[in-house]
Amino acid sequence: MTRWRTYADRLIVLVVILAAWQVGSYFVGPYWLSSPWAVASRFVAQIWSGELIRQSAYTIEESLIGTIVGGVPAVLLPFMLRRHPVLVAILDPFMVGGYGAPKLAFAPLFILWFGIGIESKIALVASVVFFIVYFNTLAGVRALDPRLVQMAQIAGAGERHVARHIVFPAAVPYILAGFSIAVPYAIGGAIIAELISSNRGLGYLVQTGAMNFDTTSVFAAILAATLIVHAANMLLDAAERFLLRWRPPAQVMLDVGN
Amino acid sequence: MTAAPLLEVKSLGKRFPTRAGREPSPWVIQDLSFAVRPGELVTIIGPSGAGKSTLLNMIAQIDTASAGEIVFDGAVVASHDARALRPGFDRKIGYVTQDDNLLPWRTTIDNVLFPIEVQGRLDGKMRAHVEMLIGAVGLAGYERYYPHELSGGMRKRAALIRTLAYDPPVILMDEPFAAVDAQTRTQLQADLLKLWELGRKTIIFVTHDITEAIALGDRTLVLSRQPTHVAAEHLIPIPRPHNVADIFAVEGFAAIYERIRAAIQ
Repeated sequence: MTRWRTYADRLIVLVVILAAWQVGSYFVGPYWLSSPWAVASRFVAQIWSGELIRQSAYTIEESLIGTIVGGVPAVLLPFMLRRHPVLVAILDPFMVGGYGAPKLAFAPLFILWFGIGIESKIALVASVVFFIVYFNTLAGVRALDPRLVQMAQIAGAGERHVARHIVFPAAVPYILAGFSIAVPYAIGGAIIAELISSNRGLGYLVQTGAMNFDTTSVFAAILAATLIVHAANMLLDAAERFLLRWRPPAQVMLDVGN
Repeated sequence: MTAAPLLEVKSLGKRFPTRAGREPSPWVIQDLSFAVRPGELVTIIGPSGAGKSTLLNMIAQIDTASAGEIVFDGAVVASHDARALRPGFDRKIGYVTQDDNLLPWRTTIDNVLFPIEVQGRLDGKMRAHVEMLIGAVGLAGYERYYPHELSGGMRKRAALIRTLAYDPPVILMDEPFAAVDAQTRTQLQADLLKLWELGRKTIIFVTHDITEAIALGDRTLVLSRQPTHVAAEHLIPIPRPHNVADIFAVEGFAAIYERIRAAIQ
């Protein structure tokens, strides 16, 4: 019951936002703000023509490859460093620096180094994803309950068993939380890199739209990007529900966004 | 004293590391000695803070000894060097701790199978054996439940049979039934004795409950206050099998209860 209630309330919020936009565009003029109706029509038309699908696919490809390139080492590194706290301590200020540095400001550098093709976008996405996932995984590895490790060792588990059966499953909630945080940044990073220099992708659509004073086209591309982020989050939520089915339900709720 | 001891604790001592600039830390355990014969169920009782868990941690080799030695089947177990510790002494010493330490991401059966799995001994026979144990402690039907879906008593049973299933020659138990209600505890004690009658493991069972010490044990060791040593030893003159629920009514219970109570300072 409450579930349907929530959906109905969401619909009301959406209608209010769209109405405000429509009214705003009436006063400011569709030239600056476009209008929900125009954006929706353009969105549908560009889907039909295949243009939006093609450009979205390119942006998704960049984000996906970048997330893998940055995310896999970010997950593996804390595991490899688990038995070497001194190395973790040495690396720490550099990792914090990397985490804090404005990665988007590196976009022009990546374009200089890797060209205007897909490589520079992957590099930017990977650099954004890496630090977020690294720190989350590290927190997961550190939060490990040492009593579980002792139990396993007494039962005859070797170092590899402990890593695989104790440390990794205990860190999975943290790793998933890291990816949940990183995915919107990954897609955002890919679009920013396209904005700066590209001839494909949603960022390219935004850029050409703005240059032609075609705000409708800009909003249609932003709408597509928003839907992609939403879809990615839903996939991650589904993965979390499946992988963390061993947790009491209340705990799953509390740890979202950790 | 027919058979040779399986486990011998000789003049064992423990003091925790001293921090720089402080007085040397006091001895928590000093000159503690006892021996356990194969198939014996020895209960250890002592005041809280007597270092009972520390004693078991040293026997299980997850903590270092500061003095003395522990001999298991002729081999010296206790180590004074943390890096030389071998937790569980090559699967020969099992340990049921106060917390159940079940892995939250494994179901009941996968938790019980965990030691067997990492020891590379998982086969159809082992699986059948584990299923028998699960049935014996009333967990049948809960095999596919995760720990958070089980009651406290069920979790204790799962932790208990996890250690019994891989069959280490000696099992240490550190107040495993302390955190459950009285009725469940009686049932768990009965389950433990039933399983023990099946296999006659060597068990060292630590408790702070005199009735539990008498109900389960062949022999009860009473520990002193710090620095802890064995203050007294009492043979339990109640014939096996013990009926845990009616242990009070057995002839001789009151006398042994009084003697142990007097020995605990």
